Amino acid sequence: MNEPTKDEFDRAVADSPYADLDIDTRVDYVRRDGQVFLCASQSISSGSLAFPQRSTCQMTGTADMEPICIGPDGTLYSFSTIHVSATRTVPYTIGYVDFPNGLRVLAQVRNIPGNMRCDTPVTLKADAASWWVEPNTHTDEA
Amino acid sequence: MMIDSFIIGAGMIPMGKHKLSSYSGLGVPAALRAVQTAGLKTSDIQSVYCGHAFGGMLTAQRICKEIGIGTIPMTNVDNACSGGASALNAAVKDIAAGRIDIALVIGIDKLTQFGGGTLPLVAEDPEVQAGMVMPALYAMRARRFLHDRNETAEILANVSVKARRHGKQNPYAQFRKEVTAEEVLASRPISDPITLLQCCPTGDGAAAVVVVSAAYLRQSSAASVRIAASILHSGQATSGFRNMLHPDITYHSAREAYERAGFGPEDLDVVELHDAFSIAELVYYEALGLCPEGHAADFLRDGKSTYGGQVVVNPSGGLLAKGHPVGASGVAQAVEVFWHLTGQAGTRQVEGARRALTHVTGGGIAGMDHGACTVHLFETVAS
Repeated sequence: MNEPTKDEFDRAVADSPYADLDIDTRVDYVRRDGQVFLCASQSISSGSLAFPQRSTCQMTGTADMEPICIGPDGTLYSFSTIHVSATRTVPYTIGYVDFPNGLRVLAQVRNIPGNMRCDTPVTLKADAASWWVEPNTHTDEA
Repeated sequence: MMIDSFIIGAGMIPMGKHKLSSYSGLGVPAALRAVQTAGLKTSDIQSVYCGHAFGGMLTAQRICKEIGIGTIPMTNVDNACSGGASALNAAVKDIAAGRIDIALVIGIDKLTQFGGGTLPLVAEDPEVQAGMVMPALYAMRARRFLHDRNETAEILANVSVKARRHGKQNPYAQFRKEVTAEEVLASRPISDPITLLQCCPTGDGAAAVVVVSAAYLRQSSAASVRIAASILHSGQATSGFRNMLHPDITYHSAREAYERAGFGPEDLDVVELHDAFSIAELVYYEALGLCPEGHAADFLRDGKSTYGGQVVVNPSGGLLAKGHPVGASGVAQAVEVFWHLTGQAGTRQVEGARRALTHVTGGGIAGMDHGACTVHLFETVAS
């Protein structure tokens, strides 16, 4: 029996799985001129958005996602402080952030005032280890 | 032509922490009660459908081998909290297609195996990696509800108060002690604004029903209930805005169920809905069409969802009081409404109940309101 052809091997390589658990090398955010942006992606054909970045459109399955940057400002749709976790130090706060281009992202929320409400404007922040959002002080001051 | 399906036997075990019971130890008493009340022998069963989320391999077979059921097809169904109801849906479809006449449907799970705390979610999901837990999903829904509807947390607490009041009358409920709104609000914070007494408990349970075709029903003298609709939907992912007070998956499932059954929410006497957390009941009043959008708080406050009101919602105590061993819940709901529609619900009987709805949603997955949703409609059989 003959060895598989190059075309057969090329097809198998094209069918390789996505390394979507490779969180350690994935880049989720960048800092530029003192501002933080999320590394998201958008389908050329459907316009669908995604965070974290992905290669295939979630709406159509088309492999035409292009990198885009999101941020730094968004709106906190809702949020909750969690007091029970088997894996994380509690309490911690998460919330859904809606960005102006329509993308919604689940984010860590920090530096929250006790009376924070839904629809609070928030801004992306980051350090060397992680990113989060916090209330947008420059909007409060405006 | 689709063949009608009927429940003619039902059983469940009291929900609770049954750490000394295996999956078969939980499942066998429920399965035997269902078969016995159907007037059948275990050897009469032609196919088995078992819903579970955490049972491991071959859960149906591990239960059925203990009671003389073998060789026939057995299908294990995981759809998170909708697993049990999805198993019922699979049985109904096989009967409708004429493949079988007598099915045993089991729903089961043992959550004490995890020791307590929040339900373990799939760790590879990006939102779980970002810190999502099930109480937080509902808590964010609750916070938005309070914000949009200008309500306070007391309305959430009152859902738990009603659930406990109903559960007190149910010998199969995990919690049978009443609570006050003050106690609910003062209980331990879990995920703000959700407190401990607004969460379904960690527990173990099993339930089973025998489902038969119209042809077999004519040979049976057992009490029966017609399954007027059996609907299963999946969530549709989006990476954009989603109104957390408008769970599309439940709206769509319910509308299809009403259309299929030929009756609507105004005709219901009993509803068992997915109140895994207090806020869920309020959101689902509207999604199931029990009240207009924007009126859920008043629907509860005005007593329209309890005895003497428009429709009795969760007479069993619901997931909050009866308990929520996830894969068991969809079948346990079917057992509860079977008992009401056949006049066997004891002191918690909804008098004159003729039509009922059950509803379970399954799982938190990034981008979806829920991963799975099942809605079943039932009605009494004219004698």
